Amino acid sequence: MRNILNRNQNKAAEVRKLLASEKVMMVNIISSPGAGKTTLLECTCEEIGRDFRIGVIEGDITTDRDAQRLKKYDIPIVVINTEGGCHLDSHSISKVLGSFNLKDIDVLFVENVGNLICPSQFDLGETFKLALVSVAEGDDKPAKYPMLFREAEAVILNKTDLIPYTNFNIDKFRSDLRDINARVPLFEVSCTSGDNIKMWYDWIRMRLKSYLI
Amino acid sequence: MHELRIAEDLAAIVLEEAKNGGLSKVSDVNITFGQMIQIVPDIFRFAFREAVSGTAAEEAEINIEITPVKMRCAACGNDFIVNDNKFECRSCGSTDLEIIQGKELFIKSIEGE
Repeated sequence: MRNILNRNQNKAAEVRKLLASEKVMMVNIISSPGAGKTTLLECTCEEIGRDFRIGVIEGDITTDRDAQRLKKYDIPIVVINTEGGCHLDSHSISKVLGSFNLKDIDVLFVENVGNLICPSQFDLGETFKLALVSVAEGDDKPAKYPMLFREAEAVILNKTDLIPYTNFNIDKFRSDLRDINARVPLFEVSCTSGDNIKMWYDWIRMRLKSYLI
Repeated sequence: MHELRIAEDLAAIVLEEAKNGGLSKVSDVNITFGQMIQIVPDIFRFAFREAVSGTAAEEAEINIEITPVKMRCAACGNDFIVNDNKFECRSCGSTDLEIIQGKELFIKSIEGE
């Protein structure tokens, strides 16, 4: 019996060890395209950036548009263009870690390529996975992509301000998610209107404080 | 599309093992995938075929066994299979669970001559 993804797994273990020794928390953000990963990062940089030192790895199939949007926060950002690849892997993360001064970073947010399946299979060496899903995608995402929602340590439902204009059934969404992962914290927010986003800020602050002790 | 990358990694391992084992032709590759990995066998076979084109494994048959998701309850020790996305102990109702099967991506064996 040999694990097919051994190469990725071994490199992820190396990354995890390095980040732990440098006291850097790494958050692997996984969502569909357009769910609001970059908008979440914008408001998180704005708010959390006051108390913690943030770095960002932007995984994108092509272009650096997401990174351009974050430039105004004056934080270290590295772009990984996967050139068609549908996920980041631990080797691509390991390669770019050298571009950061890890001693000056408390939290490294990784914006994975927009996709709910492939990124869930590839351990990057992250501290935890954050699943982000938006109202416009429909309420069936946890049921269709159980692995991501089972493995995530936090789930954000974004664009809740759109609920009145859609057939999104929030009770169904909550109950499907609870079936898959009864214990995961769920934040129902709108990153653009700011609804409830404070709950996410409080949670990530708490996680960071306990990590950095 | 994670099938592509996983097939490439599998191809590299198969060719390495074939070389180490002195096989000039690989006839069968027997693998186990956990259900949670959500691999589409046809796409995987196609991707593997591409990855081993022109090598000792180009005619190899890929035999895929899909294993169900199995959890162990931390509260009562019960092992149970999840086939309905309901991650809750069938015996005591606890949600404090550990996955013990269903995320595998294993090569069981490689056959050839």
